[in-house]
Amino acid sequence: MTAPSPVAVTGLGLVTAAGIGVEETWEGVCRGRSAAARDPRLEGLPVDISCTVPGLDPARHVGRRSPLMHDRFIQLAIVAAREAVADCGLDPDTWDGARVGVVVGCGLGGIGTMETQHRRLLESGPESVSALLLPMLVPNMVAGHLAIDLRATGPNFVTATACASGGTAIGTAASLLRDGSCDVVLAGGTEANVTPLMVTGFNQMGALSRRVDEPEAASRPFDQDRDGFVIGEGSGILVLEREADAAARGARVRARLAGYGASADAHHITAPEPEGASVLRAVHTALGQAGAGPHEIRHVNAHGTSTPLNDAVEARMLRRLTGDGAAVTSTKGVLGHTLGAAGAIEAALTVLAVERSTIPPTANLRHQDPALELDIVTGEPREEKVEVAMSNSFGFGGQNAVLIFTPGS
Amino acid sequence: MSAMYEKLVDILVNHFAVDRGKITPEATFEELKMDSLFLVEFLLVIQSEFDVKLDDDAATLTDTIGHVARLLEDQTKATAQ
Repeated sequence: MTAPSPVAVTGLGLVTAAGIGVEETWEGVCRGRSAAARDPRLEGLPVDISCTVPGLDPARHVGRRSPLMHDRFIQLAIVAAREAVADCGLDPDTWDGARVGVVVGCGLGGIGTMETQHRRLLESGPESVSALLLPMLVPNMVAGHLAIDLRATGPNFVTATACASGGTAIGTAASLLRDGSCDVVLAGGTEANVTPLMVTGFNQMGALSRRVDEPEAASRPFDQDRDGFVIGEGSGILVLEREADAAARGARVRARLAGYGASADAHHITAPEPEGASVLRAVHTALGQAGAGPHEIRHVNAHGTSTPLNDAVEARMLRRLTGDGAAVTSTKGVLGHTLGAAGAIEAALTVLAVERSTIPPTANLRHQDPALELDIVTGEPREEKVEVAMSNSFGFGGQNAVLIFTPGS
Repeated sequence: MSAMYEKLVDILVNHFAVDRGKITPEATFEELKMDSLFLVEFLLVIQSEFDVKLDDDAATLTDTIGHVARLLEDQTKATAQ
């Protein structure tokens, strides 16, 4: 089998609970302090904490009409995509938009808008419901809005694999470059579903941390006292191009997307398959594309949600795969779990780790679960050259997405 | 201009981010960059605001703000009688 043509990451954009922008997020993640806090939108609920993007003013950051026509999941993606495109050095005013694709992962869509409008329907009748409900609610609108905003008229769609959606989007985007459908793809994920109904739903299934009196200590991946995830919101967008094209235009290659693997557990609607066999298949597919072996992996940005089950199964799988040779981190300790955006935000952070030879720490890891025999970075960021890095994302429904990044040449 | 017209101007500015300086009684919705979906939303908002009932096709993109103000004045007069 010949290795598929390499894909370059030439632009990054991030909007997270650590801040608006790539550098703001990177600094926050490297500082290693959780962004979780009490959330007034969740007042009165048993779990009322979240990791929320601070200081986003849609009218200023997105556009005057944004509050009228965009749900928050779309606003976050527009801000991240504009940053990514500016970073890659291409100009949407002059690029051939027909060759530019958009693939965005999104687990849920505009649920906040739906909750508001549903309340209006029940309280004030059908005539009070907004004509803009559907365009603000349906998940695919985010890709449509990015097309409008950035004049990108190539293939355009949303991937939904729950908490793996962002990883699935980036992996799928690479195929569009390799099969010649696009020359440039904006790929990533977005989610903004810190709403009373969604948080209640996650809490009812026992997925959330109940450490509400100590929000900043609630998200603690791989810690022996972890008790669930903290819901977050955010967006991460990457600009992908074929490496030869990026080199031809003299673009800065921030890292190479060297491999992607996907699989399904076919085991349980929410619980991971205990042996991680399907995840391992995805890992080996991704490594095969990258032409690398498991022991070459030096860094893993884990799915690491801080739920007892996910972290145990993932750690066991990583131990079998890499021994203790890989420096593992979970950036969800700082940013919370951003669901459909997580895979993309973490892919961007993995790119930065490779580019900067710096691995951010896992927040709140005070007592590493002794059952998890891994080299987990904690406390300070670790300076280390990373030749092969992996970013894992696993979704409810048993959907797995694994990305491999290597340094740009 | 009428009080009704002034209220419509406020709604266009506050709900739909239209530049106040661009609004005149003769300006059409199209000229104010109100697309078809925004116009539907505008008609919903004013029906709720003034407690009147308008037909779905009460205004089109080429109608003026003055036209809608007169329509609302007629409606509220009819309701008052």
